Amino acid sequence: MTNEELKSKIEVDFKDEILSAVISAQKEAIITVAPDRYVALCQKLHDKGEYFFNHLSSLTAVDYPKENKITVVSHLWSYKHFHQVTIKVDADRNNPKVPTLENVWKSANWFEREVFDLYGVVFEGHSDLRRIMMPDDYKKFPLRKDFADDGFIVKPS
Amino acid sequence: MLTGENIVQSVAGLLNWVYSQLGISALAGFINPIISSVVMFGFISVFVMFLVWMERKVSAHMQSRIGPNRVGPFGLLQTVADAIKLTTKEDVKPVNRDKIPYYIAPIIAFVATFMGMVVIPFDKGMVVQDLNVGILYIIAITGFTVIAILTAGWSSNNKFALLGGFRSAAQIISYEVPLVLSVVPIIMITGTLSLTGIVEYQEKAGYWFIFPQIVAFLIFITSATAEANRAPFDIPEAESELIGGFHTEYSGVKFAMFFLGEYIAVVVSSAVAVTLFLGGWLPVAFLGFLHLPGFIWFMIKLVSVIYVVMAFRWTFPRLRVDQLMDFGWKVLIPFSILNILVTAAVWLFLYGKGAQ
Amino acid sequence: MTDLLLSQVKVGGESQFGTDEYVVNLGPQHPATHGVLRLIVKLDGETVKETMPVLGYLHRSIEKICENRTYPQCITYTDRIDYVSAMSVNLAFALATEKLMNIEAPARAQWLRMIFVELQRLASHLLWMGAFAGDIGALTPFLYGLRERERILDLFEMTCGQRLTYNYIRIGGVMIDILPEFVPKCRAFLDYFEPKVDEYEDLLTYNPIFLERTKGVGIIAPEVGINAGVCGPSLRGSGIACDVRKQQPYLYYDQMKFNECIETAGDCWSRYKVRMNEMRESVSIIRQCLERLEPGSFEAKMPPVLKAPVGSEIYSRIESSRGEMGVYLVGDGTAKPWKSKYRCASFSNLYVLDQLTKGWKVADIMAVLGSLDMIVPEVDR
Repeated sequence: MTNEELKSKIEVDFKDEILSAVISAQKEAIITVAPDRYVALCQKLHDKGEYFFNHLSSLTAVDYPKENKITVVSHLWSYKHFHQVTIKVDADRNNPKVPTLENVWKSANWFEREVFDLYGVVFEGHSDLRRIMMPDDYKKFPLRKDFADDGFIVKPS
Repeated sequence: MLTGENIVQSVAGLLNWVYSQLGISALAGFINPIISSVVMFGFISVFVMFLVWMERKVSAHMQSRIGPNRVGPFGLLQTVADAIKLTTKEDVKPVNRDKIPYYIAPIIAFVATFMGMVVIPFDKGMVVQDLNVGILYIIAITGFTVIAILTAGWSSNNKFALLGGFRSAAQIISYEVPLVLSVVPIIMITGTLSLTGIVEYQEKAGYWFIFPQIVAFLIFITSATAEANRAPFDIPEAESELIGGFHTEYSGVKFAMFFLGEYIAVVVSSAVAVTLFLGGWLPVAFLGFLHLPGFIWFMIKLVSVIYVVMAFRWTFPRLRVDQLMDFGWKVLIPFSILNILVTAAVWLFLYGKGAQ
Repeated sequence: MTDLLLSQVKVGGESQFGTDEYVVNLGPQHPATHGVLRLIVKLDGETVKETMPVLGYLHRSIEKICENRTYPQCITYTDRIDYVSAMSVNLAFALATEKLMNIEAPARAQWLRMIFVELQRLASHLLWMGAFAGDIGALTPFLYGLRERERILDLFEMTCGQRLTYNYIRIGGVMIDILPEFVPKCRAFLDYFEPKVDEYEDLLTYNPIFLERTKGVGIIAPEVGINAGVCGPSLRGSGIACDVRKQQPYLYYDQMKFNECIETAGDCWSRYKVRMNEMRESVSIIRQCLERLEPGSFEAKMPPVLKAPVGSEIYSRIESSRGEMGVYLVGDGTAKPWKSKYRCASFSNLYVLDQLTKGWKVADIMAVLGSLDMIVPEVDR
């Protein structure tokens, strides 16, 4: 399936569950989904034979302070059909909460710990949500855009 | 002709003359062993330094490197330089060590292995003390190293050291059994425990025991490598797992003593292998025209066996602790017992009840 | 001592002496963790009950730094993500940026990139082979591996002047064209190197102790491996085809004839064998590339300042020496990326370590860790 076909197919199959499905300028299929439908959608994408996204290639987050949101972005890949899709889910920047994908892909465990560590996104239902790279007693979330620490001050651009 | 016996006799004569001049001839029986022990100590120190150099050169050769070549001719003095470094460097000690065992362990490790050298006959009559229970003595005295290693592991107050100590205890105790059992057939054939006696038997019989007892030889070499904690049986100090194992917390002179002890253990076990299986000081049959003195033959054989042990180390990966135990108890011990039974049966068949 | 023992006697209990877990810290300074990885290992005697990796000792916040650097400046930082296989990370970032900005590198640059990335794969696998054998206790293969790696690094040095962090593959091409004598030298190296792989295999592959230590140890079941995010040669050892070069071809890999190396057992030995076979495939790929290397420009025409459009984003993957290497970039209309994320194979491969070592011996941790080909800066970034 090309990315266009994939996008249209997802649009039809999951029209109640997704918020939007677009093809980006770089020809990637990008699906945006609400937090409450997020895990269910991913589970279906993982299980259903025609999608079969069995590989969670990457899970990260992007901080948008102006829109007051943090977007959790995951990239799925199918070892069977060789197609790729991007799933986005938005969280409130002041109290970011997103359900965990750990029950769908085990590999989400560490990816989500990393996002929690660096962005402060709480993954609800995560089995072991601890800091993974920064010290355990660290208070800040370094990859947020307003992060400032002694000796590392971001100039406003 | 120059033989070990001649040398020993002339030195003894010289000493007796000195005693008589000093008027202490009565004490000769007391002083002579001390002098010979000191000579042996000096010899073994120099020889071990040579071995360390040799090991480096052997490993360098196997790994397509050059090896030490800066200090002295062919880098021969590199080990001397290292020894000076080790003796002059700071002695770092863990604070919470168990003081007395921590100090005693390296001494035991060194002394226990060194004492094994005392009964090795380098040539006919060229031996510090020809005990009539030589083999028994060597096995007993080298078994002491396990105490040293266990003590070192415990007293260092380091988790890796303790793991190494326990591994070593399990390993040495397990491999002591096939080591002893592999020697038994030789004792059955010769009817003596004296190392000199065993070599003399081989001289009389006209063959080396490696030929009828190849199985025993292989078992002996394997167990001896394990006894000396050398690769592929170096799990007590496995540097990729336990950093340094039992000697993790030792530095300076104390480390040097462990190091020396390990090499002396190699020398002792190889020397025993040469004596038992390769005819000790006897010349190699087809090279008999060379007319070399016995102790030179002995050294040639000794270095060859040590070379094989070194080649093991640089070729094989390390066994895991449970595989090591399996190998010892399930392979080596049954085979050595079988070897004893077969040897006994064959000897009974060949010579009847009245053998010996 | 006696008091301690007596205090553990349970009156009327099943066992007379209670036993404690023996907690050992492997690392952050430990010979087998290849850097500053820390493993908290709970032991029962020699048996491993739990392995807890503690990351972050080499966390240098490269992703944050890249957000404050222009795109060409970021390339320098990508070198440091995986210093054993720096070319691959250079390439991953360059490809992602090119896709983001619609830059097309000229053909000669693409061929050069393929040659250098495959040479880098050889260098990386050689170092891995030595380190893996060293972890198991065989010290000699390490020197053999370095001996050949040295000649590859000489080729790199001849071209870009560096031996470890190259900064060679740039956005829109490569840093500099190869010297005329590069091609014959590279060919000579390949002719010299190919028999060497057989030599390593003679030394290690069917060595009884090596087999004993690696066969059946640390088995990754295929489904478990996929679900836990294992990738690259480690997953191919479990019989899953997952080579990005085959599945999502980049550069000119779709025009190359090469086999995806797959073993089915999923143990340490299979992962070892996959990498050994991959070296042979790499040699054949480099040969084909040298054959087809065409004259031309080595860099694309580009605007003086590289800017990504607002709201553009790209997730681009390559097959680095360690497995799947993904770069996620978000552009915001300036010369700096709004977000950069490096998805590294070591990070996701390390996650299964606990499952693989549970119930095995201490020594198996080193065998499994070595066979996963983990490198700490990639884990911590």
